[in-house]
This record gives sequence, C-alpha cells and structure tokens, in this order.
Amino acid sequence: MSHGTSRVRIAVDAMGGDNAPGEIIHGAVMAARDGATDIILVGQQDVVLKHLAAEGASQDLVKIVHADEVIREGEAPALAIRQKRHSSIVVGTRLLRSGEADAFISAGSSGAVAAAAATYLGMVEGMERPTVGGGFSSFAPNIVVMDLGANVDCKPHQLVSFAIAGTVYARTVYGVQNPTVGILSTGSEEGKGNDLVKSAYPMLQASGLNFIGNIEGNDILMGKANVIVCDGFVGNVLLKFYESIGDRARVWLMGKYPSISRLVGFLFDKVLPIKKLSYEGEEEGSGLLWGIDGVVRIAHGACHAEHILHGINGARKAIEVDLVGNLKREIAHLKEQGKLQQGGLS
Amino acid sequence: MSVEEQVKDIVAKIAHIDKSIMSREATFKEMKADSLDIVQALVAIEEQFDIEIPDEEAQKFRNFGDFVSYVEQEVAKKG
Repeated sequence: MSHGTSRVRIAVDAMGGDNAPGEIIHGAVMAARDGATDIILVGQQDVVLKHLAAEGASQDLVKIVHADEVIREGEAPALAIRQKRHSSIVVGTRLLRSGEADAFISAGSSGAVAAAAATYLGMVEGMERPTVGGGFSSFAPNIVVMDLGANVDCKPHQLVSFAIAGTVYARTVYGVQNPTVGILSTGSEEGKGNDLVKSAYPMLQASGLNFIGNIEGNDILMGKANVIVCDGFVGNVLLKFYESIGDRARVWLMGKYPSISRLVGFLFDKVLPIKKLSYEGEEEGSGLLWGIDGVVRIAHGACHAEHILHGINGARKAIEVDLVGNLKREIAHLKEQGKLQQGGLS
Repeated sequence: MSVEEQVKDIVAKIAHIDKSIMSREATFKEMKADSLDIVQALVAIEEQFDIEIPDEEAQKFRNFGDFVSYVEQEVAKKG
C-alpha cells in the first residue's frame, strides 16, 4: 500500500484479453471512479490515452505506465516473458516487485502471467508452481477445486501444495475452519486412480491437512470435501464441462418441449441456479494466482469491464485479508509440526 | 563459494532438483527442469551476478556445463 495512506494500488494490464483495451480500461475506470483503489494502467500509452478520452476520464483519475509490447495468446509463455521484457505483463508484474503497486490483474495469456509472476515475484516457500483454484457456483457451496488449468502436468508433491492453498482458500473465503481435503480419483478406495493420485495419496495423508481420501466425480457437487485437488488437465476439463451444462440443458429442454419454451426460459433465467453454473474464483471472472509471493489475479480472456471491476475489488480484498500471508503462515504451521517433509514438500 | 556452486544452488532451489544429479554433462531435460524452471533460473542468475544472458546465447546451452561456463566467463569479464 502507498506510504502514509491505506489506499491499495492495483496495476491493470490494459492490453491483455480478447476485449482489450476497451473493456479492460472501462472496468479500470469504473474502479477508479469508485474511489476505493488507486489504478495504474499498464500498456501502450497512446492507446490507453485514446480510450481514457473516450471514457471521458481525466488523466488524473488513473496513472499510466507505458509498456511497448504485448504478449499474444499462443506465444510460449516462458520464452515470451524473456523476449518481451517491455510487455504489459512483464512491466505490470515488475511494478509489484519494485513496490510501485500492491497487486496486478491481467486478462492476457494466463501462462505468461503465471510465468512472469513466478519469475519476478517468486514463489511462497513450499509452493513450487502457481496454481489457480476456485469454487463451482450454485450447487456446491464451500468447495474449491485446485488446480483448474495452470499446471497440466503435475508431480505428486505439487498436489500437496495445491491442497494447502485450497485449505487457506476455504478457510479465508468460505470461513470453513478445518476444511476437508479430497483427491479426485476414479474410485473412493485407497489405491484407485492413476500413478499421480496413488503417489500423492500417502503424501496428503502425512501432510497434517484434514485429508479424507479419494473423491469421485459424483462426490464433488455433494460437497464431500471442501478442497478437491487434481492436476490442471483434469481440473480444466472438469471446469469447462461444468460451465457448459446450464446452457446446454436450457437449449435441450427448449427444443424438447417447444410448447413450454417460455416457461423453461423463465425457470432458467429467474429460478434455477443452473443458469449460473460457472467457475466462481473468489469473484466472478477472475481468480487469484495462488503460491506467488504477491497478489496477482488472472481474468478470463473473454472478460468484460464488470469482471475487471470485480477482479480489482477481489485483489483489494486479498490484500486487506492478507491472503498471501495466510498461505505463508499455514505452510509455516505445517512445517513446525514436521509434516511437510513427510508430505513431500521441503 | 565458486560460481559453479552458486549456479547449482540457484538452479536446484528453483527447479527442486537434487544437486547430486547436477553434473556438467547433465541436460536440463535429464534434470527434469522445464522451460519455466530455466527462465526463472536465468533471471535469478542474471540478478545474482549482475550479468545479462541473451536468449540467443541461452538457446545454445546443450547441458548444465555450458550454462555454468557461460556464467563463469561473464563473471570473469566483470573482473
């Protein structure tokens, strides 16, 4: 936070995302006008100024930090952050490192944001890789699934670190004091699953977390565990399938029963929670990058201004409740108990 | 501590690699270091020794020994 005040300074990647820069700058301007946060727009200055003028926003409303380059979707993340050191993602991340900003949010390449954050901010000790997690809205309150796609190939001890982050998430965001942890598998009995699950199982048992064993796909929405860990490949497939169910069910029902299509539309729009099946993050449209030694949020590439506003508010809350500090304390606590070495983390 | 030992420490910590497998002949693939591990290590080493490792040079490293040799050479140049 800026010296002498309690105002949080949030850097926003103006150039990242399918709807950038217009929607991103619009969301950032809304946040700046709310007055609770100091906004720093990071991007090509002439482009940012043009959009600010279109918003009718004075240049005093936000600070602009110029960044020449843009990392595009599809570029190899690790290489891109080396080759485009003047990109909005790298420049924005480095503002946190230099203490000029308290948080960074980007709707740009998720891989590049994660790579830049890990490289320039570093990981919390005990966390090897950044992870993205979140709840599945509507049917299953108080659950968090980690990882949702940041790490498609995982080592067993990484699942333990996801479980720790998920535990802090459930405690901080949902207020569950002793969250249960399950590992997603193909059967409930120990010994079921692939090599990754079978290797991670004893590590989770020894971790000191409230591990309850394997969780099957049909257990997720039953809320059998508060924290469900899986590799990012499985988590991302699960998330996108889940997000598609509401819309597909609505279309199917309206086609199957055309005579009551208006009723179906009404039910889905106004009554049933199924319409809103989506990844929640802590705020809709974006999520915290867990494990980074700093507050960095990744927004959906297709996000709109409201999502950026929510993301900025989410970043401010993460700072106010000291989410990163909570994660460090949880890891330190488990280490004190001598559990993490048994759990595969050093 | 020698440059090689310092480089080894940094890479081992970032990539969670057992130092016993980090011979000069070992490739990054053999050490199970992925592209993000390598980029994190490059940046950390640039900062530690206040040197720059251009990407075109980094892409020539065939094994850990090439990496160490390049850093040793740049550190020596600085005197």
